[in-house]
Amino acid sequence: MTSNDHALTSDPAKCIGCVDCTRACPTGAIRVRDGHAVVNYDLCTDCGFCIHVCQSDAMRARTTSLSDLKKFKYTVAMPSLTLYAQFGHEVLPDQILHALTKIGFDDYCDISWMCEMVAVASEAYLAECRGPWPKISSTCPAIVRLLRVRYPELLPHLIPIETPRELAAKLTRRRLAQQRGLAPEEIGIFFITPCTAIMNSIERPVGLSESYLDGAFSIQEVYGPLLKALKDVPSSVRVDGGISARGLGWAQAGGEINSMRNSNTLTVRGVQDITRVFDRIESGKFQSVDFIEAYSCYEGCVSGQLAVESRAAAQRTIQNLSRRLRSATPVKEERIRSLMASRFFTLEGEITAREVKPLALDLRGAIKLRSDRAALRAKVPGKNCAACGAPNCDMLVEDVLHGEAKIEDCPFIEIERLRSQLGNSQGRERRGRTDPPAPACGKRATMLKGGAQ
Amino acid sequence: MSMPPVEEEVLYAESFKITGGNFAHGGDVAARIKSILKEFGVRTDVIRRLSIANFEAEMNVIMYADEADLELKVTPTAVRVTLADRGQGIPDIALAMQEGYSTATAAMRERGFGAGLGLPNIKRNADSFDIESTPGVGTTLRYTVAIG
Repeated sequence: MTSNDHALTSDPAKCIGCVDCTRACPTGAIRVRDGHAVVNYDLCTDCGFCIHVCQSDAMRARTTSLSDLKKFKYTVAMPSLTLYAQFGHEVLPDQILHALTKIGFDDYCDISWMCEMVAVASEAYLAECRGPWPKISSTCPAIVRLLRVRYPELLPHLIPIETPRELAAKLTRRRLAQQRGLAPEEIGIFFITPCTAIMNSIERPVGLSESYLDGAFSIQEVYGPLLKALKDVPSSVRVDGGISARGLGWAQAGGEINSMRNSNTLTVRGVQDITRVFDRIESGKFQSVDFIEAYSCYEGCVSGQLAVESRAAAQRTIQNLSRRLRSATPVKEERIRSLMASRFFTLEGEITAREVKPLALDLRGAIKLRSDRAALRAKVPGKNCAACGAPNCDMLVEDVLHGEAKIEDCPFIEIERLRSQLGNSQGRERRGRTDPPAPACGKRATMLKGGAQ
Repeated sequence: MSMPPVEEEVLYAESFKITGGNFAHGGDVAARIKSILKEFGVRTDVIRRLSIANFEAEMNVIMYADEADLELKVTPTAVRVTLADRGQGIPDIALAMQEGYSTATAAMRERGFGAGLGLPNIKRNADSFDIESTPGVGTTLRYTVAIG
């Protein structure tokens, strides 16, 4: 896979070869080689932490280009709920949705109602499911990718329910095709995304042969035009049916489980905590929990790296909006029941593991590799300075084992080598000046004598 | 003349110390063994069963014993664990092996332990299981999981 068809790219013209992204990457997918960051897409989960920490603006999210809009007769903007949290709580989601039609989209599609429907469908699934426990939410695509790469044995724990964004796109396309007499492919539905992970999940979906969405723009890209357009949208505008209060909470971590009636649940946020919990699940723990909602970003989607508003302010806005909406809902129980009966919410395909090729093919080889690894680990200084281009000393050792780096890439080892070289030559010079050269054969003779005994 | 039993070749061995009462690091040894076996490419269901057994055994030491040595051996056909602790021992092994029987204190139960499933859970997840105990001296567990 080339960097061109991936949601995340590093611009070599801007990258200064610092190791900020290398160190931030939770899966160790980035190395600095020849002064530039290089992403290993087999390990990348598209979490976007590298974008967040890059000070040179070199790590970029590749989003849909505006010219792609022209390929469709009728275009629809489907914003992440996080977009509603970008303009303060005085600006209602209804206004933001209307403003989207003034910046180049023909129509809009809210997803809060679909989040609420998915919550109900998930509850129904959990009530009938027979394990393995706990089930894990499939909402955050970075988590789904983390499972595929690092925890393939936990894949059966993923709840086999499609995400609200895909389901909303599926229904909306169907509805618009009917209402407007369009062919489904003439409709372009574009997600307004707070993160790179969703962008990539549209281009390379899992559990689905093709995404129901046609592309994605980042919140950052539409923010400026929207801010301008919002000036002309009166606060009295309302969208058909309204916004679902229960669904709106999904913008932040904890919202998904709060929207469910099942209370035997857990929210885990941030890759560090998540790996700790996933490690425990692998060891058979957490079986008494029904459902785990896991977000790669610390506070869920509101802290996505392509949002504009700070996560604290965005959270406050979502909380205020939820309070204002109280229990408003456009969702009808009968509608959910009929959709459930047709298995509408069920994941269409299977989510499979992304095999990472092992270095050793058999047990003996792997055990030998472990001793090679231990020998190399004894050599590296353990300072984790990342100057070699790997995020820490252990990762350099892995790279050496994979033949992708040399142990001399470590500046400490290299300095030590140079120093001892220098020491030897200085030592020789000193000896040359003051002492007569040691008889070269003397030592050798002793050795030979020793060998002969 | 009886032949001595054929010792299977040990490809890898490592020992680990477990300290009683060390709740802060409870599960660390089980986690380290898990990552070693992952490195060795051992099948995931084997790792899972062994991890469950190791975790239970490790927590038993932390809750009831003074200290223990866990000896891990990997042979071409199995992973073998010997866990010898020094501690109070188990007076009635048959009773301790019953599901639901527990001597856990209220404080341990608050931490989510003491369901009386520890030893039976180890036995259930292992392919062979053996326990010896001397009250006042300690307990030795030996269990294996076949690599297959």
